[in-house]
Parts: sequence; structure tokens; C-alpha cells
Amino acid sequence: MERVSKRFPGTIAVDEVSFEVYAGEVHALVGENGAGKSTLMKMLAGTFDDYTGSISINGKEVKLHTPTMAKKYGIGMIYQELSLARPISIAENLLAGRLPRKGPFLDKAAARRQAKALLNRVGLDLDPDLPIEDISQHEAQLVEIAKVLGNNPCILVMDEPTSALSHEEVERLFGIIKSLKNRGISIVYISHHLPEIFRIADRVTVMRDGKKIATKPIADITREEIVQMMVGRSVKEFYKRDERAIGEARLVVEGLSRFGFFHGISFEARRGEILGICGLSGAGRTELARVLVGLDRADEGRMELDGLKLQGASMAAFLGQGVAYLTEDRKTEGLALRLSVGDNILAPIVDQLTAGLLYSKRRGESTVKRLIDELSIYPPDPSRPVGNLSGGNQQKVLLAKWLASEPKVLILDEPTRGVDIGAKMTIHSSIEKLAREGVAVILISSDLPELVGLSDRVMVMRKGHFTREMSFAECTEESLLLAANGEGVA
Amino acid sequence: MAQAAATTADRRTVGSSLAGRIFNVTGIYGIAILFLALGALLQATGVIHRFLTPENMLNIVNAATMVGIVAAGMAFVTYSGNFADMSVPTTMGFTGYICIALLRFGFVPAIVGAVVVALLIGLLNGFAVGKLKANPIIWTLAVNYMTMGIIRLVWVNKQIYPDMQQGVGTGTVALFDDIYRYRLFGTIGLPIVILALMVAAGQFVLTKTSFGARLKLIGSSLRAAKFTGIHVERLVATAFVLSAFAAAIAGLAVTSLTRVGAWYNGTGYDFMAVTVVVIGGVTLAGGRGSILGVLGGALIIGILNNITTLLGIGTFSQNMIRGAIFIIVVGINAKSLRSLGRDDA
Repeated sequence: MERVSKRFPGTIAVDEVSFEVYAGEVHALVGENGAGKSTLMKMLAGTFDDYTGSISINGKEVKLHTPTMAKKYGIGMIYQELSLARPISIAENLLAGRLPRKGPFLDKAAARRQAKALLNRVGLDLDPDLPIEDISQHEAQLVEIAKVLGNNPCILVMDEPTSALSHEEVERLFGIIKSLKNRGISIVYISHHLPEIFRIADRVTVMRDGKKIATKPIADITREEIVQMMVGRSVKEFYKRDERAIGEARLVVEGLSRFGFFHGISFEARRGEILGICGLSGAGRTELARVLVGLDRADEGRMELDGLKLQGASMAAFLGQGVAYLTEDRKTEGLALRLSVGDNILAPIVDQLTAGLLYSKRRGESTVKRLIDELSIYPPDPSRPVGNLSGGNQQKVLLAKWLASEPKVLILDEPTRGVDIGAKMTIHSSIEKLAREGVAVILISSDLPELVGLSDRVMVMRKGHFTREMSFAECTEESLLLAANGEGVA
Repeated sequence: MAQAAATTADRRTVGSSLAGRIFNVTGIYGIAILFLALGALLQATGVIHRFLTPENMLNIVNAATMVGIVAAGMAFVTYSGNFADMSVPTTMGFTGYICIALLRFGFVPAIVGAVVVALLIGLLNGFAVGKLKANPIIWTLAVNYMTMGIIRLVWVNKQIYPDMQQGVGTGTVALFDDIYRYRLFGTIGLPIVILALMVAAGQFVLTKTSFGARLKLIGSSLRAAKFTGIHVERLVATAFVLSAFAAAIAGLAVTSLTRVGAWYNGTGYDFMAVTVVVIGGVTLAGGRGSILGVLGGALIIGILNNITTLLGIGTFSQNMIRGAIFIIVVGINAKSLRSLGRDDA
């Protein structure tokens, strides 16, 4: 690929990137979310008909304007999301569009034979007549690879292929990759998992902000150097803690229960404190959060904010009293993706921007500007639809929205899930700043380093109960994980 | 470096959203003018006659007025992400019956009573769609049929006439007739004045009030609105009440025009109004468009109907043309929004 670029309205997703893959090479492609890796590979897959620059395969320039053309030139794509139809059989999925025929009829025996051969190539011994929904997620992932191999690709692109695989299956996949490599097939391997890259890649290309930073043989580069190139700054700044004055209790919860989800939860969140809540999925963390913010009703128990009972039967009522909730589901619950950054940020404070009958967005302009600045939301344009921003920046907008509401208690549910390192650092420092300003922050997270790094205290939740409280000093990733699993000393 | 990229990106979006805005507001009226020009061309070439005359222009405006009133209310439903209010036709018919039946208590009580009944229908729709999450199309369609059933049951399938009601004075009848026929300063018909007021009020509500701002969020993403602590149920219900209110006004005007309470008085207004709403730039996806645009959409449909009538095209063919236009507009809309991924609201 020679100096290829792709623009989206208002953004250059890939900016004059030149990228080459040798035959029989495993080429790793790394970068933060939003760096342009996926867009670059989508160009190769023929997703766009309006890229600039040129793409050559085996020395011949080709125009890849449709997925069908890309397939014809031998480009195979394996995405994170599976493209298999769940109710139909493995064989039908594998041979979709080219099922063998005998006259006008399907040749079932031949189909079985061919499917079996493809499955063997990925080391699966399954009955090709099984429907996809009856096999495991891991097996489906391998079937997906087999399906792409069926088109005899000369270049195979894998986007985070190991994210859903277990340790053993990763080994199996690496074995498959090696055998493909030996047959002269080129592999582009996209992954966030650096140890994997060092195991199987021959060369690595690092991208940042739509540009190529470098391509290096894997032997000539260290993990730290890759990370440095990805983020463009030192990672040492992570969790540089500064002192915060922790004050009196703001949110006091006593004996709170929602039958079937959690029972007898008591705690207090104090002024200036970041209170972590740790637990495995299904421990009742999100269910607790939903009651704390008024989305669900508690069956028993009491909640007080600054000495006043939290009242009302809706999220709006709780919000009015100063409790805000950042949902874990940014795309459907957090943001209106079609609306602009500004509209999203101002959504919780529409009332404050209304005088008499008149609502004025202009009154909120300075707030939006300040928050875009503070969280370095990129691009810094309030009129851009949020859906056009990268995941990390969307998450920043979501946080900005709740910062705008100036809450007394902010409950954060997985505030940095699926977000790149840069955005994560920004979000973390913003959370710390919020605590310094006297807000009681409740941090629900599955990201253990995040919990350990940010929390002043962590409550461990297990099967609907608070089982342990750990101070900052006691918290380590290991101790939290053990406690969440119900092990370790209580 | 990054900063330079940021400023160029900035300029580009401002440009495109500005273009989007110009296209939205003037584009619809541009199309209306284009249709006028087409009519003028047809007249110049002798295909149709008497198109560009003051009387015919008035015809166009009058035809656009009724559907415009209905659409100005229904636009709120569409904007809230609930597609359309299909209960409009019989709400209009029902309003006419109620008003005529109540005329013997006086003109004002009759109007108020009729409007209140319509608002109750709107409230019922709003409750079912907003609170119970009923499918808006299916639900309002069912309400439409239910209301029709009530009308035909109560009035035993009879039409009623304002001048044949017991105990209704001729003065009251004259007042009722005037709903459609009264001319402000002797020229501008009352429905036109009402439409102008409704468009102005609707545009104000949509763009300048907290209700409008919240409805935009609801239309764009219902779940995000819910998780922002917005009273989604109440606001969606309000949108349906506004639609019912507009249908009531149009129903009174139509009944006054025909001088008869009939269940079919509003027939066809459901689809005509959705067409106007969508042509006017309020997308079926919700959260986009304006009431000013809807007015433009009404004018376009009015001109189109006028030209096709002058051409001697029958009602059935006219329906076909309207249906085709609807499909084309919705198609273009969906495609351009998808490919641009841009917010022009």
C-alpha cells in the first residue's frame, strides 16, 4: 500500500500511510484505538471506494473498491465479530456461496468432505452438519478462520483474533499461523496484546493518529519502545497519586437490598474520596448502581445524601439531588451517537440552560468548551456527531456530560472500558480532580490496575454482598482478585 | 502538528454543517419553487391552463393548509422517534361529530369539548406508546379503527349536520361555518392564520424550549435519554397530545368546510401528513428536522396535487405519485444520513 489515505467527514482516519507485507511474513499492526489500524485494513478489504493512494499485490497495482474484488485478489479478513450465520450448519457456513452441486441439487457428501478438510486445516474435529449455535464460541472463532482459508487467500488479516480464545486455543491458532506462513501466505496481525506479537510477528508497524510511526523487525525493538511509539509519551505518568483531603460522609447507604440481586449493603462515600467497588460480573455491582441512581427501586434500606434522605422514584429525581451515573454501555445508554458533542454534554443540564420558557444552547457554550479542553476531546469541535469520534473520545464526552451536571456523588460504571491508554489517563486524572473538588466518586470497575491505582478504599462485592473492605494500602491486583473470588483472608 | 490537524478538521465540519443547514431550510422551499416553475412551464407550453393565477395560488395554499396543520402536530411524534400518528383520520372525524353534537350548548363549549376529546385520544396514545412501549404505528392504527367504531356505533352510521341539530341557533351555525370561511382582513382564510400560528409556535417549541431540546435527545436515542434522567414517558406522551391537538383543529376546519360530521372527514390525512413531515426534513429516524421545513413540505404537496389535478390525473394515479415520492424521499434520506454520518439537525 503506497501513501494511502482515507478521509471521513472532518477527519483523516488514515493519512498517507505506506505499508508493505512480504510473502510468508507475519506483520503485526499496533496502535491505540482510533489510530487508524482498522480503517487501513478495511481499505485492503475493499470496504471503501474513495481512498487515495495505490495498493499493489504481487507488484501489480489493483483497485480494491468492493469486498468482492478484494476477495478475488486473495485478501482474507478475520474480524473480531464473527460473520457466521448461527442457525445453519458449519458446512453451509464454510462453503457459503460455493456449495458443491450435482446437477441442480446440492451434493451433500461432497460438501461434508470439503468442510471436513477445511476444519482439519484449523485443527478442529467437528461434525460439519452441526449448526453454529451448537458449538462453542472458541470453536466458532476457528470455524471463521477456516471459512476465510476456504477462499485460498494470499494475504490474511486478523483483527484481535485471540480476544475470545483460551490459552490452549491461542497456541493452536499460533500453530495454524505458522503453517500458513510456511505456505507463503502473508499475515497481518492486529493485536493489543504485545506478548503475542513478540511471539509470532516478524515485523511490526506502529500507527498513531492516522499516521504510520515506524515499521521495525521485531528483533530490533522492545516492548517499551512499542508502547512509547503508540502513546507518544511516557507511560510512567500512570497513577501518580497526589494527596486528597477526604472529608465527611456524603452518601450514606444502610441495609440496602434488592431481592435477588444484592442484600444488606451498607457503606458511606465521603467527600473527596474515590470508593472502588470490585466484583466479578454477576456480583450485583451494576444492579446496586441502578438503585443508587434511582433507575430501580430498593426493596429495603436507606440512602442519604449530605444528611438528607434521597427521595423520588426516577433517575431525574435523583439527578436533581446530585447523584449522577455514568453507564457502562456508552453506545446505547450513554450517548446519542447521532447528536453532536455539545448536545450530548448539555443533555443533563437542559433545565439550567432554560430561563422562563427559553432554552438557550449558547448559555452552555462555555461549559462545553471548558470540558472539551479539560478532557482534550479530539477533534475539539462541539458540532461533530459523537458517533464520528473514536471510542476513547466518545468515552470522554460521556464523562464530560456528567461533569457538566456538577454532581455531589458520581457513580462510574466501567469508565474506561474499551478505551486506549491516552484517553484512559485523561479520564483518570479527571476523576481525581473531581474528587479533589469534593465530589464523592464511586468507581465500579473490572479493570484491577485501575481500581488499585485510583481508589482510596475498595469494597469487594461477591454474590450480592459486600464481603470485604480494603484500604489503599491493602489493595493489590492479586488481593482484589482473590477477594472477589471469595478467597484470601477475610 | 496535532493542533494543525485539529483546526483543519474544525473548519471542515463548520463548513459542512453550515451547508447542511442551508440545504435543510432553503432546500425544501427551493424544491417548492422548482415545482412552481414546472407548473409555469406546463402552462407556457399549453399543457395546463390557469396555473399561475391568483385564484389558483390561493387554491394551492388552501389545499396545503389542512394537511399542513395536521403535519405540524404529527411532526412532533416523528421527531420523538415514533414515526407517525395513524389515529389522525378518525380523530379528525370524531372531533367534527363531537363539535356538531355539542353546538346546542353554544359555539365555544362545542369547540372546547371537541378539542378535549381529541386531547384524550392523544393522551391515550401517549400513554400506550410512551409508558407501555406499544408499537406506535400499530397502536395508533388500532386506535384509529376503534374510534371509527365508536363513531359509527354512537351515531348509528349516520352523518350529522350543524344546521339540522335541535336547539342550535342560526348564529351558532354561522359561527361554525366561519371556522373555515372567515377571512381575516377579507382576504386571508382563518385556517391559514391558524397554520401560521401553529408553525410559529411549533418552531419555537422545537428549537427554543427545553421540551424541544429533550425531545431531540429522545428521538436520537431513547435509551440515552432515559439514562440522562429525562422523563421520557411524559415527553413522548406530550408529542402525541400535540399531534392530536393539531388533528382536532384540522378536523374542525374540515367539518366546517363540508358542513357535515362524517367519519371519513379525515380519510387520507394520515399518510398525507407523514409524507409532508418527511418531505419537510423530519426524518423517520427521529431527532432531526424543523416545523418550518414541514410547512415547506406541505406547500410542495399542495403544488404537486394542484398540478396533477390540472393535468387531469385521477385520484388513484395521484395516490400512486404521492406514494412513490414518499418512498423516494425516505430512501434518499436514509442513504444520505448513512453515508455522511453527519448531524444536520
